[in-house]
Amino acid sequence: MNLNSTYGMTHAMRIIESSPIRKADPRTKLALCLCASLAVMLPLGKIIFFAIIYVIFLLWARLLPEAARQAWKLKWILGVLFLVDWLVISLDLAVVVTLRLLLMAGVFAMFFSTTTPSELCLALVWLRVPYRYAFSISLSFQTVSSIDTEWRGILEAQRARGAFEAPKGWRYIVEQVRNLVSLTVPAVVLTARRAWSMTEAAYARGFESPHRTAFNRLSMRAIDWAILAGAGMVAAAIIIWR
Amino acid sequence: MIQIHELSYAYPQHGRGIGPFDFSVRSGEMLHMTGSSGCGKSTLARCITGLIPHIYHGTMKGSVRIGGLDTAGTPLWRLAESAGFVFQNPAMQMLGNSVEEEILMGLENLGLGRGEMRDRMDEALERFGLGSFRGRAPQTLSGGEQQKLALAAIIARRPPVLILDEPLSMLDVTAATEFAGYLSELARAGTAIVIFEHRSDYLAGLPGIRIAALDSATAPERTGAPGRWARAASDEKRGPKLNVSGLAVTIGGKNIIRNLSFSIEPGEVTAVVGRNGSGKTTLVRALAGLQKHGGSIDIDAMRPDFGQVYQNADLQLFNASVRSEILYRVKDPDMAWYAWLMETLCLRQYEDTPPLILSEGEKKRVALATVLMRKAAHGILLDEPSLGQDMAHKKMLIDICRGLAARGKIVLFTTHELHLAAMADRVILLGQDGIAADGTPEQVFRDADAWKRAGLFVPPWLTETGQRVITA
Repeated sequence: MNLNSTYGMTHAMRIIESSPIRKADPRTKLALCLCASLAVMLPLGKIIFFAIIYVIFLLWARLLPEAARQAWKLKWILGVLFLVDWLVISLDLAVVVTLRLLLMAGVFAMFFSTTTPSELCLALVWLRVPYRYAFSISLSFQTVSSIDTEWRGILEAQRARGAFEAPKGWRYIVEQVRNLVSLTVPAVVLTARRAWSMTEAAYARGFESPHRTAFNRLSMRAIDWAILAGAGMVAAAIIIWR
Repeated sequence: MIQIHELSYAYPQHGRGIGPFDFSVRSGEMLHMTGSSGCGKSTLARCITGLIPHIYHGTMKGSVRIGGLDTAGTPLWRLAESAGFVFQNPAMQMLGNSVEEEILMGLENLGLGRGEMRDRMDEALERFGLGSFRGRAPQTLSGGEQQKLALAAIIARRPPVLILDEPLSMLDVTAATEFAGYLSELARAGTAIVIFEHRSDYLAGLPGIRIAALDSATAPERTGAPGRWARAASDEKRGPKLNVSGLAVTIGGKNIIRNLSFSIEPGEVTAVVGRNGSGKTTLVRALAGLQKHGGSIDIDAMRPDFGQVYQNADLQLFNASVRSEILYRVKDPDMAWYAWLMETLCLRQYEDTPPLILSEGEKKRVALATVLMRKAAHGILLDEPSLGQDMAHKKMLIDICRGLAARGKIVLFTTHELHLAAMADRVILLGQDGIAADGTPEQVFRDADAWKRAGLFVPPWLTETGQRVITA
């Protein structure tokens, strides 16, 4: 059980309630993501310029720490990619690829730290994605954090029964692999069971009913139009400038 | 309302099944189905709601009709309008991102207007005392609170038929009593209710309730085996006591446990009781060394070595058979002890069965066996050990606790079942600001003020039976 969430929500990322972007419509945020994603087409000099603008935007949106946190999680992948690109091709390419990935991480951080899974579901339904798929996608985002929590729970539970006591070091590699089995088997079984139970629970609440009406509705406000106008100008600039 | 005709079902994986059954439940009638753990109560519930045969394969024979609809030939969303189903494990059925969303999902699928949805949601939240948790993520609630939420989400849909699989298992005494009374109200208003539940005392007094027992071959044939332990107990050396001083746990900025101090002598069976969300599980986790905490927990100035059985046994099981699960990483296993455990915990017939396909109650017994096989130095901690267990297995559980205590071990368990607590040597009642009462079951059960402070009450039937147990 995850009792560490102080944001009232538990999904892949924390919801930053203090961000001004939090109040924006999820469709606006999707458009913003699309616009920022266009920047990956830019060459080195221009992508650095765009990255600076995007960092300023994140700073205004109070999302820079969260974006940095997400980028930090990618440090090993980014590091390896940077080194490989640098050694095999060139430093320029290594910098461009790293910046593109950082940019994408920032875009995802902006969207998912200000959008709940149910808001995502509403936006997907608006985009004509059938409800059953939109619901499944939003549910999978919601359950990412519970998988992490469950993994830690299994680790503790196995320790509590004394099934996780292998010493560290190369000499005990077989024991350590067995340790891994004691974690992965319950994790896989629990994930499958959770998926099954959730399916049952959804059907018990009338999932796939043709009469469904949504309680929450999407609505565009002044901030949405302002963000859309800004994003549109930046997108146009990117397309012309490249 | 519910008509079941020659119903039988067999699972495709292992051939175990249920039936044949023939019964009906009319509008306004309440049927309480009992049966030992693993006898097929959850399977029957799935047959009634139509989940079998819609999403489960296997061989189903006979027919089930709900409100005139044949479950095999009616889409599940249509059946869900006629019958609400609440499952056994609430943590696994949480779909919403917040408590409000959890309830709204079911209402949205009914095609109601926003005003109607809001009214029904508010009513359900108030009814189940969840009003202050509206924005909270369901995963952050305690087991009992999640159970209330699962019930609220279905009952808000106002189905004419309710199928409830162990709905009281995680509720504290107050919530369980209130919910049983509410079921009675629903039945009076015309709802047909089938309830699968081991905690029969809460339902026994309800007007007009019918009781039916499902057959089972898994009920223990005998209890009292720990007599063998009791005889050996006099030779056991009693160890030092467990000292807990100024224990405090804060999670996510919330004080779960504040300044808790007590000590437990070896040879003592201690029950920890308290309201849903009072910190019982957190206390057990802290004692097991799994929870960061303030204050100190020690035995003879050292960290205690306890074996712990989790509330959710699924987290602790992973081997391919019950035998390999219990013997996993046990150095020089005492096979006589193993054989005794298999016999006493009624697991002999499942020795070669993968533990994860057993019923909830059976899995819990396997998890207990794995911990007992390890023979932890200072004793065992059991978090809600009676979940999913029938009365015979609960008695067996207490026998085992007594046997361990007689061997000089510390035994502590948390429970909502005051019957079970009454069988301990000592009861610690957790209140909002620490320990509300601490003493023998008799002393604690008689302290009405302490129960009031803890936000609970002792039902009259319990005082009688609890008293009987204590006297015996």
